[in-house]
Amino acid sequence: MMRFTTLLKHPADWMTGHGAETSVVLTSRVRLARNLAKAPFPGWARKKERQAVRSSLQGKLEGIPGMKDGFSHELCDLEPLQKQVLVERHLISREQAARSEGSGSVVNRKQTLSLMINEEDHLRIQAIRPSLQLKEAFKLAHTIDQSLEKVVDFAIDPTLGYLTACPTNLGTGMRASSMLHLPGLVLSDQIGQVLKGINKLGLAVRGLYGEGTESLGNLYQISNQSTLGESEEEILDRLTKVIGDVALYELQARKRLMIEDPVMVRDRIGRAAGNLSYAHIITSKEALNHLSMLRLGADLQLLPADLVETCDRLFMETQPAHLQWRAGRKLEPEARDILRAQMIREQLQSSLPPAIDITGKEN
Amino acid sequence: MKCDSCQEKATVFYTQVTDGKLKKFVLCESCAQKKGITSVDGLLMGGDLLGSSPPQTQIPDLIADLNQEDCSACGFTLEDFRKVGRLGCPECYQVFSREIMGRLPSMHKGGVHKGYLPEGLAKKQALESELAGLATKLASAIEEERFEDAAIIRDEISEIEKSGKGVVGS
Repeated sequence: MMRFTTLLKHPADWMTGHGAETSVVLTSRVRLARNLAKAPFPGWARKKERQAVRSSLQGKLEGIPGMKDGFSHELCDLEPLQKQVLVERHLISREQAARSEGSGSVVNRKQTLSLMINEEDHLRIQAIRPSLQLKEAFKLAHTIDQSLEKVVDFAIDPTLGYLTACPTNLGTGMRASSMLHLPGLVLSDQIGQVLKGINKLGLAVRGLYGEGTESLGNLYQISNQSTLGESEEEILDRLTKVIGDVALYELQARKRLMIEDPVMVRDRIGRAAGNLSYAHIITSKEALNHLSMLRLGADLQLLPADLVETCDRLFMETQPAHLQWRAGRKLEPEARDILRAQMIREQLQSSLPPAIDITGKEN
Repeated sequence: MKCDSCQEKATVFYTQVTDGKLKKFVLCESCAQKKGITSVDGLLMGGDLLGSSPPQTQIPDLIADLNQEDCSACGFTLEDFRKVGRLGCPECYQVFSREIMGRLPSMHKGGVHKGYLPEGLAKKQALESELAGLATKLASAIEEERFEDAAIIRDEISEIEKSGKGVVGS
């Protein structure tokens, strides 16, 4: 079985974006909600019933082709910090991290598939791919679904489709979403209009960690709301089209900004680079916002291209739980802000050599 | 709690607010029926019991709520669903179907699943919808006294039912 440390040491392909066009659409995720036909949903089930569902499912999930030798744990065996790391990696949800008794997680070695046991539903099958590849992500999740239905009796109604704990997931049980980096639309003040348009099309826009989270680092998640009344293909087609359009608007906005206001853009990117290169105390919010500008600079070829990957890695690794895991202990917010600044300075040194040395001898 | 009219166990609870004044009635099922609290008309005419008629639109819902049973599979109640917006178990979808169906239009593009179904279920559903279509045709053929057509359709139906055995109703 894969150990937690191994999982953390090897970033997934969708985290680094290797070989994919990720200047606007960073990742695509698809999750399928499934439930056992004869068991109460996790939110209503007794502890014993939840544990029975978990132990019956966990073994079956580990046995699916493609999931073998992956990471598989009952969540109450993990420390709170480890759970938080998994949340930051989008491998479990925030909601699941809060439910530990009888809840489990199975992740394949490549970290492209994450199966959550007893989250809001008995099972959530999640697949993640880099860039705009919603259909590819769906295919991955669908393959797991099809292998599982041979050994598990899912709750299905011919008219309502897959039955879920919350009626908002009925039917396909499918939520598909992409993470978009939209600094151009934010800088040119068009973001509000674009988000309004997306909402009008019946799609949802959320922040970095899904429902109820604010947008940080100009990152937005776009996903379908409706899961019943359309086939998976229809939902994915519509979503892919809209996300493709938004990506195009973003690229156009960047181009226009460089023609109409290049000094402002250079100033923002330069200040971000300056802050990140010289700061000794930096919050995760500030870091995300500056890293967003740095990534824009690299995408616009104002800065070395390899910075895109550095930024994406830092997006992940400078988040609170990742930082504390690296430090090997729990850290107070101020200590985290110092460690974060140090990590960013070190990582950026090769791409952005500091012009002045103010690191101080004690470091 | 005991019925306001007799000593039976009360199962019907009715609260009405008129001009800021609260009126409460607790009745057993048979007394409620006698007083007419089982249908819209009965409630509207129940002036002697209620003083004046409550707003009309709420009455059918109210009666349905009074008759709503808890989920026998998991013990979940309608009140639970209204509080948390989630259900107790797959069976709840049958039990609280009226309440759920009322909410679907604001959540989804349609009310019927069009997506993937496991092979066996998809076949079963296709056969069932074919049978439903034929049953409609049969009814209209009989209605229009086209008895020869009706006989053909009837044979078609029994043919499908025979071939679909083990799939339909399994």
